Amino acid sequence: MWDLRTPSGWFFVILGVILCAVGIVSPGARAPLTDVNVNLYAGISMLLFGGILLWMARRAS
Amino acid sequence: MTLTGVDYIIILVYFAFVIGIGWLLHKRVSTSEDFLTSARSVPVWITSLAFVATNLGAQELIGMCASGAKYGIMTSHFYWVGAIPAMIFVGLFMMPFYYGSRARSVPEYLKLRYDEKTRGFNALTFAVMTIFSSGISMYALGLLFQLVLGWSFTASVMLSALIVLIYTFLGGLTSAIYNEVLQFFLIVLGFAPLAILSVWKAGGWEGMAARLPAVMTSSWKYMSHPSQNPMGVDLFGMIMGLGFVLSFGYWCTNFLVVQRAMAADSMAGARLTPLIGTFPKMILPFIVIVPGIAAVALMKMDVGYAIPMKGDTYNYDLALTTLMAKFYPAGMLGVGLTGLMASFMSGMAGNVTAFNTVWTYDIYQSYIRRGAPDSHYLWVGRLSTIFGVILSIGTAYLAQLYNNIMDLLQLVFGFVNAPLFATFLLGMFWRRATGHGAFCGLVAGTSAAALTHGLTVAEGKGGWLGAIHEFPSTMAQNFWVAIFAWSSCFVVTILVSLFTRPRPEAELRNLVYGLTELPREGGVVWYRRPTLIAIAAGIVCLLLNFLFW
Repeated sequence: MWDLRTPSGWFFVILGVILCAVGIVSPGARAPLTDVNVNLYAGISMLLFGGILLWMARRAS
Repeated sequence: MTLTGVDYIIILVYFAFVIGIGWLLHKRVSTSEDFLTSARSVPVWITSLAFVATNLGAQELIGMCASGAKYGIMTSHFYWVGAIPAMIFVGLFMMPFYYGSRARSVPEYLKLRYDEKTRGFNALTFAVMTIFSSGISMYALGLLFQLVLGWSFTASVMLSALIVLIYTFLGGLTSAIYNEVLQFFLIVLGFAPLAILSVWKAGGWEGMAARLPAVMTSSWKYMSHPSQNPMGVDLFGMIMGLGFVLSFGYWCTNFLVVQRAMAADSMAGARLTPLIGTFPKMILPFIVIVPGIAAVALMKMDVGYAIPMKGDTYNYDLALTTLMAKFYPAGMLGVGLTGLMASFMSGMAGNVTAFNTVWTYDIYQSYIRRGAPDSHYLWVGRLSTIFGVILSIGTAYLAQLYNNIMDLLQLVFGFVNAPLFATFLLGMFWRRATGHGAFCGLVAGTSAAALTHGLTVAEGKGGWLGAIHEFPSTMAQNFWVAIFAWSSCFVVTILVSLFTRPRPEAELRNLVYGLTELPREGGVVWYRRPTLIAIAAGIVCLLLNFLFW
């Protein structure tokens, strides 16, 4: 039986890559009420979270 | 709010993953139990997150943010009073009977413990209720997407229903549960940034507290009298009505959530499911309620944010989506919207998988066709998944056409649900309770609920039998209706049981306290012991209540 952490990990890695890419390509993109590069920071967190899930799945197998 | 290409890509990636997980699991389904009960094989960390996620529907997400804006941090009572104690109770004290009885559903437990008519009553009302609640949340989602994104109501309802249908049809309960975990992660990662950004912008908790009336930032201080707090609820009504009757009635007897624990791979896993689930559940108010409070603080700051109006009152249901539009740029906006869809799907898949199990085992196999080969029931289970989704869609349209009928139905379901916990409590802990007693108790409790509602008014609701009492709010009325329903059911069940013949004790083995071998906790590492986890959860929950006193 496969480990659910593997597909979930990949899902968040992919989301993280997309968000980081958007954050880097258009660093000036801002929502009306914030002066933070939301996409970049959220993307990094998702990359990290996905990476941790993948690492845990690898360690378990 | 307008979406760009990258937002659509994120939504598509999500669709691909949920369907992919269903596809990966479809090979594991060869019997009706694989499909409908996961054949009791799911690891505990998965069941415990699914236990929380299946309750975290889109309506919950939108509604809790709205209540945060309307009532402030008092809304946390729905979590730290109205969920955690009940989740601890069901894990510690009720799972040994649910799981140990080897019942495949909650109504089936009632059949084993009491009799056929008690099961029939519960199974039928539950089946209808799941269809309606998934239909109503589908309606809410369709309406929201129409309003916020300009999407067609039909397109968003059909698309989301189709995705849920595909993955539950492929992998059954296991697929619903696995996806609920992915959806839970997505909801948290999709909405936590909103909580952080909105609170930060509003000046942190202190900044918010300085701008808001004190009643919005303390959860208990204004509970002594209903006129002091915006909920219009008294302390007794809150603790007994919400904290005991309604919350134990939901978390301890609703098959929707209990099914997740029953899918665990061991007795220990089944008990740990709601107990471990308490931790993510306790954190949720920070993600779902706090942004609503921040929204009100932001309105006082003149930064160009306002909750939209509906007539001459605020339309609090739009707080969440308007915050997203103000704080999320293209990209993250896609993630947030996907999170909203994920929450809708986890709630709907929960309803669909609970419906098909109750329909197949408790209605079809019990009353329509007994003794068929298992492959027949697997086929019925799959078909009822499709019919469940179609019926939900039908209900969504019904809700669009006849809003009042939906309100009435929800009211009636409330009457039916309110007394349930008394039936289970007596069934599990008093071996003398009989089937006739339980059935009469349920009828009496439901009638008492209707009677209380008919004799009291609140905000113009109820009082159809003549008002002898007025409640300050419908919330207070709901809590008291539940209290009267529960008490009547409790008393009537005991009285009727004393006058009817109990079942022989041999038949009650593994169903009742005192006739069931309780699971031992020795020989397991400490962090896998249900009692220790329960104590830890209780302490953290108390601390949270004090922190926002």
